[in-house]
Amino acid sequence: MSIIKTKDLDIGYNEKTIVKGLNIEILKGKITALIGGNGSGKSTILKALARILKPQHGAVYLNGESILQQSTKAVAKKLAILPQSPTAPEGLTVAELVSYGRFPHQKRFGTLAARDYQMIEWAINVTGMSEFASRTLNSLSGGQRQKAWIAMALAQGTDTILLDEPTTFLDMAHQFEVLNLLKKLNSEQRQTIVMVVHDLNHATRFADHMIAIKDGRVMKEGKAIDVTTPDILKEVFGICADVIIDSKTDTPLVIPYGTIGDSSKDHLQLLKESVVG
Amino acid sequence: MENVKLFSYQQMLVNKKNQVLRLICLLLILLIVVFVLSMNSGFIRLSPWEVTKTFLGFGNHKQELILYAFRLPRILIAILIGAGLSVSGAIIQGVSRNPLADPGILGINAGAGLAVVTFILFFKDTATQSIFLLPLVALLGGLIAAILIYTLARKSGAVSTVRMILVGIGIGMLFKALILLLEMKMEYHQYVNAAIWLAGSIWGSNWQFVLVLLPWILILLPYAFSKASILNIINLGEQNATGLGVEIEREKFLLSGMAVALASACVSISGGIAFVGLISPHLARLLVGPRHEYLLPVAAVLGAMLLLIADLFARQLLSPNEIPIGIVVAVIGAPYFLYLLAKSTG
Ligand SMILES: Nc1ncnc2c1ncn2[C@@H]1O[C@H](COP(=O)(O)OP(=O)(O)O)[C@@H](O)[C@H]1O
Ligand SMILES: [Mg+2]
Repeated sequence: MSIIKTKDLDIGYNEKTIVKGLNIEILKGKITALIGGNGSGKSTILKALARILKPQHGAVYLNGESILQQSTKAVAKKLAILPQSPTAPEGLTVAELVSYGRFPHQKRFGTLAARDYQMIEWAINVTGMSEFASRTLNSLSGGQRQKAWIAMALAQGTDTILLDEPTTFLDMAHQFEVLNLLKKLNSEQRQTIVMVVHDLNHATRFADHMIAIKDGRVMKEGKAIDVTTPDILKEVFGICADVIIDSKTDTPLVIPYGTIGDSSKDHLQLLKESVVG
Repeated sequence: MENVKLFSYQQMLVNKKNQVLRLICLLLILLIVVFVLSMNSGFIRLSPWEVTKTFLGFGNHKQELILYAFRLPRILIAILIGAGLSVSGAIIQGVSRNPLADPGILGINAGAGLAVVTFILFFKDTATQSIFLLPLVALLGGLIAAILIYTLARKSGAVSTVRMILVGIGIGMLFKALILLLEMKMEYHQYVNAAIWLAGSIWGSNWQFVLVLLPWILILLPYAFSKASILNIINLGEQNATGLGVEIEREKFLLSGMAVALASACVSISGGIAFVGLISPHLARLLVGPRHEYLLPVAAVLGAMLLLIADLFARQLLSPNEIPIGIVVAVIGAPYFLYLLAKSTG
């Protein structure tokens, strides 16, 4: 069952259209990964799903209702978005940032109710940020900061979270920490997660569904095994890659070895030749 | 079982609120001290004892006249304007996410000033009777300046920090040149008055000025405080704000209008006082952090104090002559602005 659905969506910036005729469905309770090269339109699509960008044509439906027909606050109770490289004002503490996630649920004057405190504290604890709660964001490392932002999105208490490159600029341990956290939220809280990720092996490993974008169009969507084929990778990213199945996780593992136009041969081919030869 | 101590946000919030309340109390006490100092300084000196006595109703006629007719309205004006300009600056900084913004630097004060000078020049016979109209006239000028800045500084979406400041300074210069042209048409005494007023001065303040300004401050400051949580969210950037359910265009429009109205109302009484709207939000941010629930009230009290102190200097430095208070503020404010500009990255 789908929770978000787009219909003939055209999206762009000042008259210029970047994405044309987009029809995608985001499956409820699943992790969906948007993949594609730089400038292919992943962020643009995510922004349209979250009503940050108004589409030039078409509509986005959340639970069957058009998002632009509802108040932006009503949408904020159902859908959270973490934009690409967000910035917080200097001196803001982690706990304060997380508390902002309760904004859509508050009455006037921003007073917090018992439920708000619960959600804020839960979000801080589940992301493992409790020991940093009273630290300011600018005093934290990139990975801790990213987790603080994720905690803010969690405090929003929505069923669906969209994340634009939540792991970029993090070291490998922090990348896994963030992805494992998202996986946990997905399996324990049945959260629907849509994320833009650059690392293809993270996408195949953590996502139930993948959507490959090129030049603002969907080139292929489906399960990892169907999307990460050498042909599609060549088309979407312009890379030559081998795909093997990782026996440990049972997911496809992409091993890139060059760009198209590279004269180097497929290295499995080379391997075979050397063995036979 | 191991006792895991989990984090309590409620507790943290209570601590923070107490801390801010204590700070505000301290600042208010300081404000009262400056207030008393201010009451007994001037061309005719009154001791704190005489001030207190007069307030309690035991002063002689001369003392009452000095305090009630001259000093008190002037001090109240300084407090109202300091608070008004500071909150205006804090809002503009929040909405534009530009730490260098200030209604004076951005030329909003000059826009409001031009409107007032035009009004006085063309309606000189009625201008004194229609003093209650002045804030509205000023608002018109302030809004025109704000719209110009917004349109010119906005280039394919984003407004950069320094670009906005440069455009604002340019617009301010344009308006000041226009004011100068108008002043050429004035008679000498009119010109002198206009020049003093424009430099930012609060001498000759009387109760009528207080009455003109008071409703604006009494309505707009609480309204601004009620928008604190929205300002916090806008501070996270447009994308996050939309994601959290803020109608960003509408709120920015309302908040900017409110900031311009505050600054314009102040300018119509005191002329252009720049830098207060820059300095006090900055100091407030250093003291209580970026949350507007704390930042706005603390900035308001700091601004009031700043202007009261500046007014003391304005009266004392070249006594018995006075310096326009706007110039005293600029002597502290301009270097601070340059320091922030040098530190800024965008
Ligand atoms: N704010 C903007 N204004 C104009 N064009 C933009 C803006 N943001 C992105 N674009 C353009 O839209 C295209 C897609 O960008 P984006 O969605 O950010 O790509 P991705 O996230 O896949 O790297 C790019 O060609 C980019 O130049
Ligand atoms: Mg992107």
